[in-house]
Amino acid sequence: MAKHLKDEVFDHEYDGIQEYDNRMPNWWLWLLYGTIVYSFLYWGIVHTFEKGTLPIEAYRAEVAKAAEAQLARMEGMEISDESLVLVSQIPERVEAGSRIWTQNCVECHLADGSGSIGPNLTDRYWLHGGNPLNIYATIMNGVPEKGMVAWGETMSPTKIQDVTAFLISSIKGKQLPGKDPQGEPEEG
Amino acid sequence: MTTDALKQEIVYDDKIVRAFIVASVAFAIVAMSVGVLIAIQLVFWQANFGTSWTAFGRLRPLHTNAAIFAFVGNMMFAGIYYSTQRLIKARMGSDGLSWLHFWTWQIAILGAAVSLPLGLTQAKEYAELIWPIDIVIAVSWVAFSVNFFWALAKRNEKNLYVSLWFYIATIVTIPVLFIVNNLQLPTSFLHSYPIYAGVQDALVQWWYGHNAVGFFLTTPILGIMYYFIPKACGRPVYSYRLSVVHFWALIFLYIWAGPHHLLFTALPDWTQSTGMLFSLILLAPSWGGMLNGLLTLRGAWDKLKTDPVLKFFVVAITFYGMSTFEGPLLSIKSVNSLAHYTDWIIGHVHGGTLGWNGFMAAGMFYWLVPRLFGTKLWSTQLADAHFWTGTFGILLYVVAMWISGINQGLYWRALDAEGFLLYPDFVEWLISARFLYLMRMIGGTVYLLGFFAMAFNLVMTARAGKPVTSADRVVIRTGFEGPSTWELIRGWPVVLSLLIVVATILFGIASPLTQGAVAGFLASLVIAAILAVGLGKENWHRLLEGRPLAFTILTVVAILIGGLAELIPSVIIRHEVPITPQAAEAKAAPTDSSAALIASGTTDAPGTSGTTDASGTSGTTAPPGMPAAPVKAATNAVVSAYAQQPYSPLELTGRDIYIREGCFNCHTQMIRPMRHETLRYGEYSRAEEFVYDHPFQWGSRRIGPDLHRVGGKYPSLWHYIHMRDPRATSPGSTMPTYRFLTDAVVDFDAISRKMEALRRLGVPYSESEIATAAQTARSQALLLATDLAEQEIEISTESELLAVIAYLQRLGRGPQPTALENAAAPEIGTAGGGAEAPETAEVN
Repeated sequence: MAKHLKDEVFDHEYDGIQEYDNRMPNWWLWLLYGTIVYSFLYWGIVHTFEKGTLPIEAYRAEVAKAAEAQLARMEGMEISDESLVLVSQIPERVEAGSRIWTQNCVECHLADGSGSIGPNLTDRYWLHGGNPLNIYATIMNGVPEKGMVAWGETMSPTKIQDVTAFLISSIKGKQLPGKDPQGEPEEG
Repeated sequence: MTTDALKQEIVYDDKIVRAFIVASVAFAIVAMSVGVLIAIQLVFWQANFGTSWTAFGRLRPLHTNAAIFAFVGNMMFAGIYYSTQRLIKARMGSDGLSWLHFWTWQIAILGAAVSLPLGLTQAKEYAELIWPIDIVIAVSWVAFSVNFFWALAKRNEKNLYVSLWFYIATIVTIPVLFIVNNLQLPTSFLHSYPIYAGVQDALVQWWYGHNAVGFFLTTPILGIMYYFIPKACGRPVYSYRLSVVHFWALIFLYIWAGPHHLLFTALPDWTQSTGMLFSLILLAPSWGGMLNGLLTLRGAWDKLKTDPVLKFFVVAITFYGMSTFEGPLLSIKSVNSLAHYTDWIIGHVHGGTLGWNGFMAAGMFYWLVPRLFGTKLWSTQLADAHFWTGTFGILLYVVAMWISGINQGLYWRALDAEGFLLYPDFVEWLISARFLYLMRMIGGTVYLLGFFAMAFNLVMTARAGKPVTSADRVVIRTGFEGPSTWELIRGWPVVLSLLIVVATILFGIASPLTQGAVAGFLASLVIAAILAVGLGKENWHRLLEGRPLAFTILTVVAILIGGLAELIPSVIIRHEVPITPQAAEAKAAPTDSSAALIASGTTDAPGTSGTTDASGTSGTTAPPGMPAAPVKAATNAVVSAYAQQPYSPLELTGRDIYIREGCFNCHTQMIRPMRHETLRYGEYSRAEEFVYDHPFQWGSRRIGPDLHRVGGKYPSLWHYIHMRDPRATSPGSTMPTYRFLTDAVVDFDAISRKMEALRRLGVPYSESEIATAAQTARSQALLLATDLAEQEIEISTESELLAVIAYLQRLGRGPQPTALENAAAPEIGTAGGGAEAPETAEVN
């Protein structure tokens, strides 16, 4: 018989019910201790040191992966609104776009996109169209008569896609106060 | 000789036990019959009979409430009244209180049986009953508790046996849960709004919902198990130490686990993780109960062949062990992502109620009734037949639901080779589940037949005997020696335990730099506790068992810690809305308050969104100094971020009809951040979208699709046709027909009163909006009716169906132009109306 089974009863009874003084089974105790230790580790890793993946982050990663796969299937096809939206769902591409933005665009549009020399890119008004493809074309070809550089002359189409992705995911629609609206309001 | 002279006769009150048994058996049959009916409805929609009173959405709460409060409630009271009197060698405190408890409880049940089919509901699961019934329940519980503690006060047995610990935990915890979750502001005698909204309401509700399972369906039944199993098998309880450890661990941990009902929702991540982790830790304490039950039967297994009572108990405990393994399993986030909203959960709860509660009840009745009537069980064979059919019924039911649930989860998340939904039509799953639903229906019916057999057997037993009143000769005690209550509750086990709890909470909120130190402190406390246990000479817990007051106080402390730690941070999140000059400025000059809200990282809006967006003409300025990062996070979402705007009068009316019809019993309003969900339903749901939802309507299962972003998805004509004949637009749907809503008339006069109540709860309706509510509602209804009339549908502008359509078209869309703007606009509520509404003077 296992060691914890002494089967000694206490010298007390309740309405005829007696109780043994047996030890708790070891496997049961280890189950209790194990789940407690696991919980402390989980909390420390996921919440204190933020090393784990929480639902929203996992979701973003899932979307990014799907966008990459979709882009791979679309390879060779023309750049479209859809393809640019997909790029904007891939964090690394948006990150790359963000660096290009900081290096090249902020003198005229300001870091938050609210506009100084160039127009406010956060409002609903667009001079050359606000769809992803319009934005891409404007960056690519520039608007020389108004001072917008034709970046396609110096940057790869990939980089222009990246900066477009950054614009549509992180600047467009923020509705910041800044330079007065110019151009036509977007539908919707 | 001298002690014998001191002995007096104590007569136990067994009449009350018989009364509770009769009520329990009768209501068990009612509850299960309604369960079978709604199971039939899910296979054959025609069984909804086309009336409002018999539709699934109204009957499902009747089924759950009857099963929990009428069947298990009465069974629990029978077991508690019988065992408590014998364990303390005293009669209950007062016969008057016993009967007050009994009758008020039955009145509350009858109130539920009438009010729920009438659609009078608070729309919170297992807390549906309207406030007047809540008050009757409160009176009943007060009578019960006073009666119980009064009995303890005049007890003739010094120490409390483990059953009584579990009864105490039940008696003190249920009121805490019940009161906090039922804080409502009445708008009439039959209707009220909860004081919480959205995320807070969800958290409070599932803190309650989970612990209704914990402290209504588990702890009292464990107490009953600890009494009736040793009694029935004549063996000592396996391990006293296990009783002590698993009792305190169970009641302390249970309270924390509620948020596992809300994994992947808009609930803050830390709360979700807390819910998951405490559920995992809860496995061992729950299994402690199972072990003590099963191992008590060591040496008595041979009796299983002959004694139906023990058969029922053994299977009941096995189901308890299985359900309490399944619970933690389902709380693991990755498992939950598959199982949440599916039939797996339905299988899980029925394993618990049919297996654990139902079979404990049956075993207890078969043991008690012959004793209460001084005779033998009328038919052991019939009880055996009940046992086998019941076991078969549960297994068929539970297995069908497991398969259906996993099938459901897999259908929903299945993607094709190109990464899109493999089954884009929700109904495809429902059609595939039909066979399993049929199996469930059969399983439930077979189980119900077993209960009919039991009822018959018990009636025949009672008729064969006569009501017996039993008595004991005991030494009457007037007081007990031992340390005082105060000495006990400041004892080192309490101090050390509290220090460990504090250190654990500090560990939780520690920064990466300090966490190591806190962990060291915590470890040293645990070592100190282990050493102290080893060094302790006298058994502190035995002393505690002799002082019911001290025991009760410590129980209250144990159950309050988890509740406070989880609820308080979530409730005070309200106050994070910046009440700053900037915010005030933002309020004065109409701004895009949403950006401010998102920037401040808050989930609530009363301070800022109040007056700005009511006109639907939000401007484009934001408070200066807005941090960029959170805004970036928010605008990454496909839907641009905006604060919520209160429902228009007609939408609010529609929402109350949605609640009345119990739509939440099949439809969720909470899209989880998973690609298959966002592909199917739209952008995932965010906390700030629900700030005016009194009560929240996230739901807990999907027999129909999620509705959070159904607004604008279909034209109003689609809703009109679908509500009147769901299969016209969705072939294969099992939804009841809501044709009766067409002719039901909106109570326009009630709207102002409801809005006034909501305003007192923090929804920013203005005086004029409230004063003109009926008129505004009528104009919005007229617009909808006109839209439908253009498509050759004649409908009264006072029809409730229009209100429901107005609500559905509003869902998940943030600020919408009000009816007055609609009058000018060509179309009801174009998408993204608030943030992108026509600009005003500021533009130029």
